[in-house]
Amino acid sequence: MAFEYEKYLRMDKIPHLWCPGCGIGVVLKAMLRSVENMGWDKNDIAFVSGIGCTSRAPGYIDCNTLHTTHGRALSFATGIKLAQPAKHVVVFSGDGDATAIGGNHFIHACRRNIDITLVVVNNNTYGMTGGQHSPTTPIGYKASTTIYGNIDPTFDICLLAKAAGASYVARATVNKGKMLEKYITKGFEHKGFSVIVATANCHTQFGRKNKMSDPISARKWIESREIPIDKARNMKALELNDKIITGEFISEEPEQTYWENYNHPIHEYTEAYQRIREKAQAQDKH
Amino acid sequence: MSEKINIPEHYGRWEADITIGKKEDHVTIGYWRDGCKGCGICVDVCPKKVWEIIEAKDKWNGQVVQVTDAAKCIKCMLCEIHCPDFCIKIY
Repeated sequence: MAFEYEKYLRMDKIPHLWCPGCGIGVVLKAMLRSVENMGWDKNDIAFVSGIGCTSRAPGYIDCNTLHTTHGRALSFATGIKLAQPAKHVVVFSGDGDATAIGGNHFIHACRRNIDITLVVVNNNTYGMTGGQHSPTTPIGYKASTTIYGNIDPTFDICLLAKAAGASYVARATVNKGKMLEKYITKGFEHKGFSVIVATANCHTQFGRKNKMSDPISARKWIESREIPIDKARNMKALELNDKIITGEFISEEPEQTYWENYNHPIHEYTEAYQRIREKAQAQDKH
Repeated sequence: MSEKINIPEHYGRWEADITIGKKEDHVTIGYWRDGCKGCGICVDVCPKKVWEIIEAKDKWNGQVVQVTDAAKCIKCMLCEIHCPDFCIKIY
């Protein structure tokens, strides 16, 4: 039974501008299927994005969408969530947008553990601006700014999010569309900050410089590096070098933090903010 | 068939009666040629080689795909899930 993507898309903007075979399309489809799985009303969802290839996605989705400044998507999303706690806020971000330009916003959104879902599409490069190396370009691979090979160690976005305090972190690759759908649905269901990293192919910018200039070989390269997390636990650090660990890194409900009144446990950041707002309004009346 | 088939007008169609295991079924494959960018992912992911690449001079890389034999389809939906351009519909 085919899925009706038309329901969630601005069809006058399709075909999209992404390169032929780009992994972002696969991730976007997985996300739309997850929205359908959740049964959300389109008016209750806000899709927020920054700048970059990945961040073009909300332009094609027929919901409340916001295309913001570079790296600041999470800041705008936090504002939306605090103003409208009942709405579902989803941030669609690239690896440069989330971990380089917006790295600070990323770790602090994780720390606050606010009820937002962040989908990071990691394509190992800055695709839109000409293939410069990003914080996730693997060591030894070429980019337009590292023509003799990259020497910078990479960020592991999942471990970074987990350490910063996100309460749901998972990773899947574009080769596993169903797995992506499953994790994004779990992220939507989760109360607290959830990060889903989708490793995607960028054969046009990253692949062209690393002998995989067509989508098939770029996808094969990703597939050859995939390791499930259960298998990875028994492996040595050296064996896991240059591998993509897929699976759920952390999945726990946020700890109840008792604040001011022990009869009212606060589960989540928006609730705490609501409490502060009520307190401030009560003070104004006096 | 109980399933409602909702393929838009501009989609090309291939239909066939298929047998999955012992179950009799019917498949309708919809394909939007104008939206297709000819990346060839559907040809790569299909386990039954339902899709093939053909020459098309109006496309950027001179290729699009077409269905070789819809009767080979097993409705695994891999091509539909992995098509980045919303071009394939399997009913």
